[in-house]
Amino acid sequence: MKSLIQFIEKVVEGFGGLARLCVLALVLLVATNVIFRYLFSIGPVSLQELEWHLISPIALIGLAYSMKHRADVRVDIFYDKFSIRKQGVIDLLTAVATIAIGLYITWLSIKYVGQSYRLQEGSPDPGGLPMRYLLKAFIPIGFGLLVFQGIADTLTAYLKITETKNEAIKIAEREAI
Amino acid sequence: QSKDSFNVRMTNAYPPGSPFYVQGPGSPMDFCKKVEEMSGGRLNIQHFAAGELLPALEGFNAVSSGTIEMNAANAYFWAGKIPAAQFFTTVPFGLNTQGMNAWLYHGGGMELWHEIYEPHGLIAFPMGNTGVQMTGWFRKPVESVADLKGLKMRIPGLAGKVYSELGVTVRLLPGGEIFPALERGVIDAAEFVGPYQDRRLGLHKAAKYYYTTGWHEPTNVTELLINKDVWESLPKDLQMIVKMAAQASVTESLSWSEAVNSEALTDLVQNEGVIAQPLPQDIVTSLKEATFDTLSTMAAADPQTKKVYESFMAFKEKHASWAALSEKPFLNL
Amino acid sequence: MIGNEWIILGMIGGFLSMMIIGIPVAISLAVSGFVAGYIGFGPMLFNLMPARLYGVVTNYTLLAIPLFVFMGVMLEKSRVAEDMLETIGKAMGGVNGGMGLAIILVGVLMGASTGIVGATVVTVGLLTLPVLMRRGYHPSVACGTICASGTLGQIIPPSLVLILLSDIVGESVGTLFAAAFIPGLVLAVIYILYLLILGIIKPDLVPAIPKEERALTSRSQLIKDLLRNVCPPLLLVVAVLGSIVGGVAAPTEAASMGALGAILLAVSMNRLNWTLLQEALHGTLTISAMVFFILLCAQPFSLAFRGLGGEQVVHGFFEMLPGGELGAIIFLMVLLFILGFFLEWIEISYIALPMFLPIFSSYGTDMVWLAILVAMNLQMSFLTPPFGWALFFLKGVVPPGISIKDIYLGALPFVALQLCALLLLFNFPSIATWLPKAIGW
Ligand code: NA
Ligand code: NA
Repeated sequence: MKSLIQFIEKVVEGFGGLARLCVLALVLLVATNVIFRYLFSIGPVSLQELEWHLISPIALIGLAYSMKHRADVRVDIFYDKFSIRKQGVIDLLTAVATIAIGLYITWLSIKYVGQSYRLQEGSPDPGGLPMRYLLKAFIPIGFGLLVFQGIADTLTAYLKITETKNEAIKIAEREAI
Repeated sequence: QSKDSFNVRMTNAYPPGSPFYVQGPGSPMDFCKKVEEMSGGRLNIQHFAAGELLPALEGFNAVSSGTIEMNAANAYFWAGKIPAAQFFTTVPFGLNTQGMNAWLYHGGGMELWHEIYEPHGLIAFPMGNTGVQMTGWFRKPVESVADLKGLKMRIPGLAGKVYSELGVTVRLLPGGEIFPALERGVIDAAEFVGPYQDRRLGLHKAAKYYYTTGWHEPTNVTELLINKDVWESLPKDLQMIVKMAAQASVTESLSWSEAVNSEALTDLVQNEGVIAQPLPQDIVTSLKEATFDTLSTMAAADPQTKKVYESFMAFKEKHASWAALSEKPFLNL
Repeated sequence: MIGNEWIILGMIGGFLSMMIIGIPVAISLAVSGFVAGYIGFGPMLFNLMPARLYGVVTNYTLLAIPLFVFMGVMLEKSRVAEDMLETIGKAMGGVNGGMGLAIILVGVLMGASTGIVGATVVTVGLLTLPVLMRRGYHPSVACGTICASGTLGQIIPPSLVLILLSDIVGESVGTLFAAAFIPGLVLAVIYILYLLILGIIKPDLVPAIPKEERALTSRSQLIKDLLRNVCPPLLLVVAVLGSIVGGVAAPTEAASMGALGAILLAVSMNRLNWTLLQEALHGTLTISAMVFFILLCAQPFSLAFRGLGGEQVVHGFFEMLPGGELGAIIFLMVLLFILGFFLEWIEISYIALPMFLPIFSSYGTDMVWLAILVAMNLQMSFLTPPFGWALFFLKGVVPPGISIKDIYLGALPFVALQLCALLLLFNFPSIATWLPKAIGW
């Protein structure tokens, strides 16, 4: 079970590498566009479009990545005071909900991307970027990865619950002796 | 509710509150109201501005897939999916409003429009028209083609391509950033709509030279997009009501635009120190050449575009010879 | 058949309960939205979901999020921010609350280049919170200050709220930008006064750097430190703003000047290396994605709210509208404030405003003034617990040990201050209307 978790997290981390690269590309691209336009009046439409095209991988691949690195926002007023086991139960609920949301949105968006592919959708601006369906494909990819991470989280939460339970049984057994 | 009554939804590519594009005489919301009253409440269209149900430019896919029944926008927004869609809104140096209406209603334009949208499960009608637009706002006067070189201009679409052939640096910016960018000189020029809409954006506070005419948008057709299955499920009388309400909106929005633009232009020139003048002739000539190169390249790349292009251009030629003897001498009186 | 009003209440209640027991905010939003929508109108409307998600991840103005966050992470990892705040703290001498003032100023400067609250709150929080904590600031006060200063960008132009309002009230973007300028600064001044007064009556909450420690740094050393530690990062923020004012960059893309500047700064201080860059990219990705996670998962929630006829429910309140201009304005303000507890500002303005505005045009109300009142009210909605988004965004970057409770408590006084500013503007409309007239916008 632990090796499955590790495998999943490796995949999420791998995609995260791509998204990290997009962050760097975004910073350099926007800055370069600004400077080249100001100094040399150069500003191809395609590179301007690429700016906001890069938000998509960062935001969507980033979903699973931020889940993996526990960068999600939660209200911890009660959570912090719960026992490890209770926290495990909340984590389990979260993970199952994550899988459900991820699956639903992935399923909804596959049709959406397919439609864009059939239309061979590109930019309405001449000189803009083609293949907008690739951009749209980050929605199912991102939420699909989220499902994947959700599976890992489910297993982790399950281990958290059972291990604390076993621990409790062991303690109880010891006390019984 | 009787079996004979229909509730449908219309999304819009423009944000809530926009006059002409959303509300006011001849606008999409006005159209919905007209249809409801004409049908005695049998066809009820609930209107949603951009961002309320859908982001601005997602109407085509939503209506095509049947999630939404109707959408209000401009056909050229779909140029990334159907290159020929450009011709059903406006074409640089193309037909003016009278000519466009003539081509659409009686020159085979509408038939082509329906033919092209058919495979997407769509049908479309004209539902409004801004009339001729303006070239745009410039921070400095432009006197020759040389002045265009390196000029940074906010201009989307086909016209952007034409300008870039003449050395203009095309800048894509969302509506809300046009004003701050023009005001600070990040861009030297910006195109939006016409005097009334431009004044609302405050562009005259950022640039004083207002050039005319809208060579790039000599007319501008608002598109009513309807899901084909929904359309066919409507009884004949309701279909006719939709068609007639849309046609009424074309007349009403156009006449409204003509009225408010003349008021706004006078105000801009007399009270705001705006200098309104035509583009110098040599610039117009160069733009025209670049446009026809661009259009013919576009037509050569896609058989569907070629078909529409040829119909449009053949009609334009006929119409131009008539207009040269009718409208033109009259305007020169 | 349950009435839709009850499903809406159930949705809000469901969201609140899931959130309270510790299910992540984004997941709670999506689950409650999907479930309530499914009960109320079935799956059909959710076919719009992909288009709405696509709208979020292709929104040009949201570029400011990764760009500003990168700048913040870079300054934090290269310890530039830490040095800066420490030095400012020392330079402030015995003034309690001194570092807090610096935060408000950074909020004003960053707010002048973007209107994206997530970008500002997260960046300022990242940069300043660890230092403030180490320096003995009360967690609540520190968090409240950061959230409040981060939301200033909503009212200080350029601002998305104002752009949207300009369409709704029919005034030009330029007029509203000019009109919001002074109210934005007034708000900042009110925050600063609050911190200074707090420093006098409760110095323990916002302590100055101890005298003994300040004594270790000589006057000339302090001046040297100011030049070395404070000028460069401040220059960075000024560069962002300067590139807008100087006509180099449009508002959103200007954030890239800050990001690039942060790299150059790290290079010039010999702190840039592969590890630092990797860490900065990792930090930017997780934090930006955290913000986007909430923005994306809010889509099912607001779609469900609309699909369930939340609009009609709000319009129902409309029948309680008292007569007279004054009554109507107060009613509008209270309604916006209440909606602000659980709705996103865009949704509020789309649903509530278009129906009110015809009434006010018939009263002849000054629309510019009204728009700024509305903008300030909407800005407040970012700070109101339990659903203030600024509070969530900050939660995503706080060091361990600070709970959402600290953030909630910290936000409350600032909500009260906002109310004061709102009253001030209400009584003195010229705070908003003077500037646009004076410069002819
Ligand atoms: Na701002
Ligand atoms: Na709120």
